[in-house]
Amino acid sequence: MEVWDGISDARIHFSASDIGLDENTQGMSRITENINLQRGLLRYLSTMPDLHLIDKTKMTSIVREHEDAGGWPLVHLDNSKILRARLLIGADGFNSPVRKYAQIPSYGWSYDTQAIVATMFHSPRGPLQRPNTTAYQRFLPTGPIAFLPISPTASSLVWSIRPHIATAIMASSLSVLARMINAAYRLPHDSLQYLYNRILEHQNAGTPISVDEVIEEVEFRERAHGIDTTSAYSSSHTMENTVENQGVPPADSEMLPPLVTSIQPGTVASFPLRFNHTETYIGEGRGSRTVLVGDAAHTVHPLAGQGLNLGLADAECLARVINNAVLSGSDIGTHASLLPYTQERYFQNHKMMSVFDKLHKLYTTSFGPIVQARSMGLEVLNEFDTVKAAIMLNAGSQPRQNEASLRSTVFNLAGSALETASGVKKAADLTRGAVGSMVMNGIQQWMKTSRPGQSS
Amino acid sequence: MLPSRLLRSTVNAAEISFFSRLSSQWWDERGEFAFLHQMNPVRMQFIRQKLLETACDEDETVSQNILKGLQVLDVGCGGGLLSESLARLGARTVGIDASEPNIEIAKHHASTDSRLSENLSYMHTSAESLLSQSRRYDVVCSMEVLEHVDNPALFLSTCAQLLKPSGHLFLSTISRTPLAYFLTIMMAENVLRRVAPGTHTYSKFIKPSELVEFFQSYGSCPWIAPSAAQPTRTEAEVRGIVYNPLSSSWNLAPRDAWAATECNYMFWVRKPAE
Ligand SMILES: Cc1cc2nc3c(=O)[nH]c(=O)nc-3n(C[C@H](O)[C@H](O)[C@H](O)COP(=O)(O)OP(=O)(O)OC[C@H]3O[C@@H](n4cnc5c(N)ncnc54)[C@H](O)[C@@H]3O)c2cc1C
Ligand SMILES: C[S@@+](CC[C@H](N)C(=O)[O-])C[C@H]1O[C@@H](n2cnc3c(N)ncnc32)[C@H](O)[C@@H]1O
Repeated sequence: MEVWDGISDARIHFSASDIGLDENTQGMSRITENINLQRGLLRYLSTMPDLHLIDKTKMTSIVREHEDAGGWPLVHLDNSKILRARLLIGADGFNSPVRKYAQIPSYGWSYDTQAIVATMFHSPRGPLQRPNTTAYQRFLPTGPIAFLPISPTASSLVWSIRPHIATAIMASSLSVLARMINAAYRLPHDSLQYLYNRILEHQNAGTPISVDEVIEEVEFRERAHGIDTTSAYSSSHTMENTVENQGVPPADSEMLPPLVTSIQPGTVASFPLRFNHTETYIGEGRGSRTVLVGDAAHTVHPLAGQGLNLGLADAECLARVINNAVLSGSDIGTHASLLPYTQERYFQNHKMMSVFDKLHKLYTTSFGPIVQARSMGLEVLNEFDTVKAAIMLNAGSQPRQNEASLRSTVFNLAGSALETASGVKKAADLTRGAVGSMVMNGIQQWMKTSRPGQSS
Repeated sequence: MLPSRLLRSTVNAAEISFFSRLSSQWWDERGEFAFLHQMNPVRMQFIRQKLLETACDEDETVSQNILKGLQVLDVGCGGGLLSESLARLGARTVGIDASEPNIEIAKHHASTDSRLSENLSYMHTSAESLLSQSRRYDVVCSMEVLEHVDNPALFLSTCAQLLKPSGHLFLSTISRTPLAYFLTIMMAENVLRRVAPGTHTYSKFIKPSELVEFFQSYGSCPWIAPSAAQPTRTEAEVRGIVYNPLSSSWNLAPRDAWAATECNYMFWVRKPAE
């Protein structure tokens, strides 16, 4: 994984070998398309004879049964059936109807950021290069752009950007999007800003920008910045760049993702980004016999691609807790049966969520001292293998060997490294004065005052 | 047969009216009986463990559902916290209590869960009056009751007689130690008010050693060999249960853990085969 700062270009390189995994056979994370994950899960469920799956059915409402009858949740379906739930698990996403029924308060804010997702096609890496197994993330002041490899010629995009720019880009053609992705990985931020403005102008005039105009603008900007056309930072020769005529790749080619040649139609979508965490995961009183998992309980910034992973960890824990309750003959719908689930997951999720939130805030600013400090942070971090390992572990990687001990030593490190100004303070402490205390105070002040929604 | 002077009741009227007044609270997990709710999984764990262990010793074909099909009596069942768990694991469970409102609450609560109906029944009666019936049980449980009865010796021998040969008796109660006084009366009732004041009477607390002694001298064929200082693993067992306020959960203390039986503890003893 390559991560770098969009303003200062400070870089950090993560690799599987940093956490004792074999680069080629294990890797540090795996990217799985949702459709394959769902297919696998459905296949597994079909092996369970006692499980009754009701699909193509919507829940229309949840009503609490009369107190004397037990006060269990009654789930009304659009096929006019009613299910009486001993335990109603709300795995129903961000707008969770179960959470509303349980009246579990949730707090959070929106990031004034939209995420564009898409599947991108590109040429395969050449024989002299690493295979397409590296993720690339560039932190721009408008939000991070992430490139996640799927196959030698396809990768997945998660591009967080201001909503109005996202709308304008989405309204343009797929080839404009492809060009803009390449530019977003390569051009300096002020040039990108200029390109966004051109796209917005066209959008406001009611005529989406043409791909030729984008190419022209990009070429002009590259010349202005003195980017050599043989460099990997040049995107103007995109389309001719096939394996055959590639020859020896530019020296800097692996610093950047491969050039995107096209976007798979029908894969482009965009989502508003928000941070949300409920006050608890277990319904009580009039909302008893309910429990929340996944996005129903917490929504995170996808900059670390962790939303689903947090939810899967919830599900694993809840299944274990329910299993224990069944073994002791407990009623699995009760607060006492479910308590170990919240105890295990709530703080864990909260810790991870604040890390992502702070990273987002830290990187969506171009405020000078912070850029300086965070760049130093990145460069210092790059040298500290344990800290890097910690970050990766938290970003979903699971070392298979010796997991328990690695986790325990490394988790705390990660917490302390990232929770205070995202590693900057830690790195500063480690290097004793490499970052002046004035800068540190400035950052801490800024972290404190940056309010929800005002993250830039 | 018991000497006639012992044929009194174990029911203490003041205790029963005290619990009857609180009866509506039984199923409020955060209410008066929160501690019992939290303790329940640990009691069940101990019961299952002990039954599995003895079954393994005897080389029976042991299944995970060790309680399935067993005849189980829960004496002083209150709102039925333990009875429901036993029934859910397949035990043919009878819950009895000296307080009528408790039995009403227990019956009503069980009626809201259709899975319970086939294995669970309740009766408003005392253990003594069950002696006249012929039914005997594989397992008799009495959780947090011993410290509330009159004449505990009579109570224990009644429970003992209700067992089939080789049957299992499980008790949980509070020891009579300064620590127990401090935790259960001083802190829980008077300082923290977690439990209604008046729930416990110190002099009624019974020490584990007193239970062991009782079964060492019980009847013509003692359940625990009188000579040994400690009962063997196949005769009886005392296990402390300790509260962890950080996770608000109870845990079964390891065997022979120091001071673990100074306060709340579980006791198991097995009736000899005839
Ligand atoms: C742009 C973007 C990129 C992301 N990238 C990643 C990534 O790379 N990696 C990662 O791990 N996570 C990622 N995430 C996060 C991830 O998508 C979510 O965390 C995850 O989908 C949450 O799963 P869930 O099951 O909790 O909720 P959801 O996926 O929202 O599922 C909820 C389900 O409940 C159903 N439902 C709701 N109401 C009803 C009703 N009334 N009746 C019947 N059904 C109902 C819905 O149909 C839906 O199927 C990303 C998120 C965004 C927005
Ligand atoms: C502390 S509660 C315990 C309830 C239940 N066993 C539990 O642990 O959840 C004690 C119960 O014992 C009952 N009780 C007290 N003395 C009794 C006796 N002699 N015979 C039957 N029940 C009795 C009370 O009515 C009360 O419900």
